[in-house]
Amino acid sequence: MPEPILVADAATKAYADLVALAPLDLAIPAGQMVALVGHNGSGKSTFLRLAAGLLDLSAGAITIAGAPAGTSDARAAVSFLPDDPVLYDDLSVREHLAYVAALHGVDLDGDDLDGLIEIVGLLPRADDLPSQFSRGLRQRTSIALGLVRPFQLLLVDEPFVGLDAGGKQALLEVFDELHKDGAAVIVATHDPGFVERVQRCVALRDGEVVHDGTATPEDVLRLVSS
Amino acid sequence: MLKTAVADADLEGALADWRRWRRDHRVAVADVHWIDVLYRAYLTGIVCLVAVVAASSAVGDTPIVAHELDDVLRHGPGWLGGIAAVAIALGLRSGSRGGPLALERADVRHILLAPVDRTYALRAPALRQLRFLSFVGIVVGGIAGELASHRFDGATLAWVATGALGGLTAVGLSIGAAYLTNGLRAPRWTASLLGTALVALAVLEGVDVIGFSPTEPFGRLLLWPLELDGLGVLPVVVALVLVAAGLSLIGVCSLEDAERRSTLVGQLRFAATLQDLRTVVLLRRQLALELPRKRPWIRLGVHGSGRLPIFVRGLRGVLRWPAARVARLGLLAVVAGGSLRGVWEGTTPLVVLAGLAMFVAGLDGVEPLAQEVDHPSRRDSVPREAGDIHVRHIPVAVLVMVLTAAVAALVAMAPGPGEVPPGIAAVLILPMALGGVGGALASLLAQPPSMNEALTLAAPEAQGIRLAFRMVWPPALATLGAAPILAARQVVEDGRPGVPAALVAGTGFAGLFILICCWVRMRERVHDWWRAQLEIAMPKRSEPDSA
Repeated sequence: MPEPILVADAATKAYADLVALAPLDLAIPAGQMVALVGHNGSGKSTFLRLAAGLLDLSAGAITIAGAPAGTSDARAAVSFLPDDPVLYDDLSVREHLAYVAALHGVDLDGDDLDGLIEIVGLLPRADDLPSQFSRGLRQRTSIALGLVRPFQLLLVDEPFVGLDAGGKQALLEVFDELHKDGAAVIVATHDPGFVERVQRCVALRDGEVVHDGTATPEDVLRLVSS
Repeated sequence: MLKTAVADADLEGALADWRRWRRDHRVAVADVHWIDVLYRAYLTGIVCLVAVVAASSAVGDTPIVAHELDDVLRHGPGWLGGIAAVAIALGLRSGSRGGPLALERADVRHILLAPVDRTYALRAPALRQLRFLSFVGIVVGGIAGELASHRFDGATLAWVATGALGGLTAVGLSIGAAYLTNGLRAPRWTASLLGTALVALAVLEGVDVIGFSPTEPFGRLLLWPLELDGLGVLPVVVALVLVAAGLSLIGVCSLEDAERRSTLVGQLRFAATLQDLRTVVLLRRQLALELPRKRPWIRLGVHGSGRLPIFVRGLRGVLRWPAARVARLGLLAVVAGGSLRGVWEGTTPLVVLAGLAMFVAGLDGVEPLAQEVDHPSRRDSVPREAGDIHVRHIPVAVLVMVLTAAVAALVAMAPGPGEVPPGIAAVLILPMALGGVGGALASLLAQPPSMNEALTLAAPEAQGIRLAFRMVWPPALATLGAAPILAARQVVEDGRPGVPAALVAGTGFAGLFILICCWVRMRERVHDWWRAQLEIAMPKRSEPDSA
């Protein structure tokens, strides 16, 4: 089994007396594709944000590629695609990608950028301001931003919300290709059908892991019913 | 598909290049005309000039006499040191809640999550903030020094320079404390405790309970034109050390706090420009993580639908207030009571401070009504007029404010200099409470100007006056509630009992409050009537026939 890319050791997140994530132990090997499922409020987004370094742990530890989550090495290793796209008001799609690529030391030329923009289906809108796009187009821009920089672990929070069928299919193909290239991918989703594309399904309920292994769509429906 | 980074890529250099590009790009795209910039500077200058002239006339220019000067030299450092104590306390509070920086949300997501050195990434916005606040501190301090030179001996330039240095030092102390607290990830309770202790020590020294407080050297700095004391250098040095230490830890920030602030501060600035005080209050609470208690202070059982549902609903809301809000009301009551003492001693303008404190308290007091206004669809789903529902929320607000005013009265009547006679202080409770509620009601329920109103046709000057009135009227109402103390003071100076005068003035204000309640009840009907009259006077042109 390859070295884990993500290790959560009694990771806990609490807000006052509300425990969003109970002490959680989880190890994701490098190159594994994982579906993270659970009912609303089960802690999926909280876990992904903790791993990305956006939230502070209340207790325990999460390491990414051997470095504590949030440190420079961990940030270099993990790419986070949030459920709420956050974009600059004054940058076009192309400028967004160039900016983020530069922040991560990636040297891309115009063709490389266009290639990535085309994968997410935004080439005709590459010079428009994505902050003024519809929800679905902003989501596509956010996906491109997550892919333009290097990573070993991709954390994706509800990626299919707002995407049309074409966009969803394109994204699934991207995940497959990334997996083939050796990246680990964790996708938090409410789509039961997604588990058929992954080797492992982790289900959360009220901040705790209630299932960790293979699963069918019917299993997912049962696991997420609160 | 996986990308690879260039080895030893200069990420910080790339960030600097992009920031420069965005800045230039923004200016070019915004197409700001130099005439617009000049006009804004002209308006800012006029407002500042008016503020300075008003402050100057309030301070007066009668020179201080010898025994007053002794008083200033003996007690002044302690009281003036309180400015530094408050500045540091505010900085500690801000830093413990993720401040003082408020970044763009996209910067938090893209820059701070990139493997860019965070200290480098945050230094530029921190220095920009420091630069701006330092400028403000210098200007405000310089103006205060100039005003002080009217009353005290010493060259005007010396007072201006000392004031400017004092303003700059206060900013450094505050911002440095904020950066350091944030960098050390100090718990909120520690920061609040330390800040409160500093302020308390300054106050205790001011009233001669203790002989020295940690912030007294700052007071000595401000009095340099009167007495050059070497101890005054200390706060300058401390400010420099705090700022340097804070900037060195600027990269140790919580992204969770940074992201929360980035969203809220942007909304808060927008709400402030729209004079949307209610939104400012709500966002400020979110920034301070001031959330209702899960368990109320006193549990009121739910036994079916019950009687007086609106009153009980309001009470339940108040009983879930967090301790921070209760403490804030207590503090505002102390400020109001202290101001009343100052008024009683002869400083008449302090009645405005008392009124302002009650107005700010009133904004919390009307919280149950404000919740109703925030959720109009829920209110409108009830088969009752909105005014009827609004007016039934007033008793809870009055109850809260009576308790607040009672604390203010206790502070006012406490033995010591400026002690307000107990009978007069007791009579002031009700008008002050009603003033706070009245001002808050006027602020909460006044709607922003609508494009459909006839007054939008008025000249810009009239619109400006209307906007200014809308801003000034609510706190003015609260100040009227505190004004009965002036009537009482006047008759006491004439050798007559003050309680009847305060009672008469208070009763007069109570009458005004009843009119305010009638306005709350009837305003929807009045607006509907007015709208109907406008439609009669200016009917909409009918669509031409398409045939």
